[in-house]
Amino acid sequence: MGKVKQQKERTFLQDLLNFQGSLNGKSKFLDEVRLKGAEEVRNIPFPTKKLEDWKFISLRDLYKDSYELASDLDVDVPDISEHYLPESKGARLTFINGSFSAEHSSTEDIPEEVLIGNIAKLAEEDNDLLKEHLNKYVENNFEEDVFSSFNKAFLKDGVFVYVPEGLTVDVPLHLLFVQTDADTNYFTTSRSVVVADKESEVTVVEDHIGLGDNKYFNLPVVEVNAEEESYVKHTKIQRDSREAIHIARTAAFVHHHANYESYTITRGAKLSRNEPRISQRDEEVEFTVDGLVLIDGDQVSDTHSVMDHRFSHCESHQLHKCVITGKAHSVFNGKIFVRKDAQKIDSFQENRNLLLSRKGLVNTKPQLEIFADDVVCTHGATVGQLEQDELFYLMSRGLNEQQAREMLIYAFALETIENITVDSVQDLLVDEVHRFTENQLDSELTV
Amino acid sequence: MSETEALESMVGGEYKYGFTTDVEYEDFPKGINEDIIREISRRKDEPEWVLEFRLEAFEKWKQMEEPDWPNVEYEKPDFENIQYYSSTKKKDGKKAESLDDVDPQILETYEKLGIPLQEQKQLQGIAVDAVFDSESIFTTFKEKLAEAGVIFCSISEAIQDHPEIVKEYLGSVVPKGDNFYAALNSAVFSDGSFVYVPEDTVCPMELSTYFRINNMQSGQFERTLIICEDNSHVSYLEGCTAPQYQENQLHAAVVELVALEDAEIKYSTIQNWYSGDEKGQGGIFNFVTKRGHCRGDNSKISWTQVETGSAITWKYPSVIMQGDNSVGEFYSVAVTNQRQQADTGTKMIHVGKNTKSTIISKGISAGESNNSYRGLVKISPRADGAQNYSVCDSMLIGQTCGAHTFPYIESANPTAKVEHEASTSRVGEEQIFYLQQRGMDEDDAISLIVNGFAKEVLQELPMEFAVEADKLLGIKLEGSVG
Repeated sequence: MGKVKQQKERTFLQDLLNFQGSLNGKSKFLDEVRLKGAEEVRNIPFPTKKLEDWKFISLRDLYKDSYELASDLDVDVPDISEHYLPESKGARLTFINGSFSAEHSSTEDIPEEVLIGNIAKLAEEDNDLLKEHLNKYVENNFEEDVFSSFNKAFLKDGVFVYVPEGLTVDVPLHLLFVQTDADTNYFTTSRSVVVADKESEVTVVEDHIGLGDNKYFNLPVVEVNAEEESYVKHTKIQRDSREAIHIARTAAFVHHHANYESYTITRGAKLSRNEPRISQRDEEVEFTVDGLVLIDGDQVSDTHSVMDHRFSHCESHQLHKCVITGKAHSVFNGKIFVRKDAQKIDSFQENRNLLLSRKGLVNTKPQLEIFADDVVCTHGATVGQLEQDELFYLMSRGLNEQQAREMLIYAFALETIENITVDSVQDLLVDEVHRFTENQLDSELTV
Repeated sequence: MSETEALESMVGGEYKYGFTTDVEYEDFPKGINEDIIREISRRKDEPEWVLEFRLEAFEKWKQMEEPDWPNVEYEKPDFENIQYYSSTKKKDGKKAESLDDVDPQILETYEKLGIPLQEQKQLQGIAVDAVFDSESIFTTFKEKLAEAGVIFCSISEAIQDHPEIVKEYLGSVVPKGDNFYAALNSAVFSDGSFVYVPEDTVCPMELSTYFRINNMQSGQFERTLIICEDNSHVSYLEGCTAPQYQENQLHAAVVELVALEDAEIKYSTIQNWYSGDEKGQGGIFNFVTKRGHCRGDNSKISWTQVETGSAITWKYPSVIMQGDNSVGEFYSVAVTNQRQQADTGTKMIHVGKNTKSTIISKGISAGESNNSYRGLVKISPRADGAQNYSVCDSMLIGQTCGAHTFPYIESANPTAKVEHEASTSRVGEEQIFYLQQRGMDEDDAISLIVNGFAKEVLQELPMEFAVEADKLLGIKLEGSVG
């Protein structure tokens, strides 16, 4: 019995490769990429709990079921305009179940100099920029990673953005990934590649929404390259269906004098795993990898981040906050690497957890690995509840207990949201936080 | 001299305990198998149940694989090439009743180490158990301790004289098959100390054990067991040294502490095994399992360690806080230099209500060494009101060393509070400048800063040993530290 299970686990992704065939024939370049991806999937073992990086979560929920390729399914697409960001009215690419939807996309507000489009289409046109950048970053930052290889094996539709030298894109680019309700379990892999050339500036909002309560497997890979003196702001909002499995990879290169800011908000999915890996490519860079996780019910959220400091003079910042209620389980493992001779690094990492229920569980492991002596690296982790004193203070000012709690949770979460520069995204997240706190106020809170 | 050079010269002190004592050993074959274990047991004249304990552990050990998760690199020991039991030849084959029976060479060794065993020279207020390779040579102040009801002797004697106590507690905190090296130890353990403090007793003096590995062929596998009954208190210290050999030697000890209601155990370690030369040749592999169990309510176990020696240190003194309101503490200074590697830290397991733990860990790495802190704080679902506070600071001296921090926090109780913070930095130029401006020379300035960095831990050591620890840090961070 045990062996049978193990077998299923091992070949789970390989079995799904059978769906690959329907994708081929449009672009030789992508055909080869997929072939290579499939080859890697066959050679890299599926992670098990025995691996240090996977010991806190079980992927059983993922591999116990079978899935179909999302783009093979017929879907009725309901009205999704409520999910459009007002700032990005003319700067949005939409993907429905992984397939590009021209109907729901618009690029009219984006300056002409910017190259933005669907990867599949650019590949058919044999675009040189695409060929130069695609896979370069993820292959470097994720070695021997079966999930990014699987994403490669199904690479077709996706976003490619190239901002040329010296250009500032004022409108935030909205990358909207909508997963529809369906009777069959499906899997979808999306790829987004954002390249900001020298002295350019761009804001990207990566938005995953599940419309139903159905089960699907979402495996997005994002690649970012911030060239010299560029500034890339990346916000990711994950609101997948409550039954979905979301396994994401983000690979970023940050060059000389560049700044990469990323904010990841996790609210949806039954099981989610985020892996931002930031690689410093030259001296004097800045980056931020903040996160907010709001989970309840039986949700599991796992964040494994890597901040790889390879050269001198870097300022990096990571504030990862989690609010956990119900039977939810939050995992955090943040690695700060400082390579030999990467002097004058100023790195900050903090993971704060608000554990509000008896059955909730928190695993946190901030991690420093340092091989240079002239550095200031700090990390901190806390797990706690709301301060009784603070509650008392607010209640003595006339708030009832519910209001006081809501206000404190809201304030806790807000710290990670307030740096996001897109107003409507901020508003949306503020609402999300409100709904979250309201929701769980009805449930058991008093401990 | 540049500031870095000054720092590096300070950490380059020589090992002062690297001499060898030339004594005659009884023959004992190398390797490990059932016959060897039976032979160890026979030579120690052990009762049947101890032999069974050993054999069961050996069975488990055979099934196990050496773990490879720690952040250290070494050539796995050849378990067939180790002599698991090493005892010196004695006049009439018996343990020394008085000092006159002890080999004068060994006495001299201990004197050289700064632990005179002769009566007139004995350190006042400290009872010493001297362990030389696999056996306990002599225990001082036994009678005085007996007056207070405290039993302090080697574990072999305890097995003979107090079998009922040993039987009850041996393996109750660190089970036979707990981990690879604990299982090995359980199979072949030699002498360590045994302490039993009865109810309502404050042990009248500090207890200490000095471990010395002398034989090049052997490893040391001591086993220590400390039991503190209700409402009693004991403070215990171990010190360790070994000669300079080109070969790596294995030290795989197990230490078990049991604190019953309102009891308190303070366990301090000054570990200065030979650490190998600057090329990483030789040195002790220090793979130790230490665990304390706060069984009763309001009990307390406190670990303090100053780790300066060993080629590889791999140990996590832990506390299981089962009794309500019990307290666990861990204070550690780990210094690594040259090619040393240390992966050390603690585990604090909160089971009882309102349990509290504190972790203060200071790592100093120099030369080409690697120093890792690895810790676990686990709050079980029923540990209401549990609190943990951890600080792990690392200091780097030079550009070729590494400092790593792997803290694991697992909390399953919403009323618990866990706080962890860590930092990595070096001796700041501004700090040195400030002290120099106040009239200190560079060496003194650096030594003051390093001592200040480790102070929180050093002050936890018992008075009698604080001086010694200071000296030890001084030797390790040679120069004018002290």
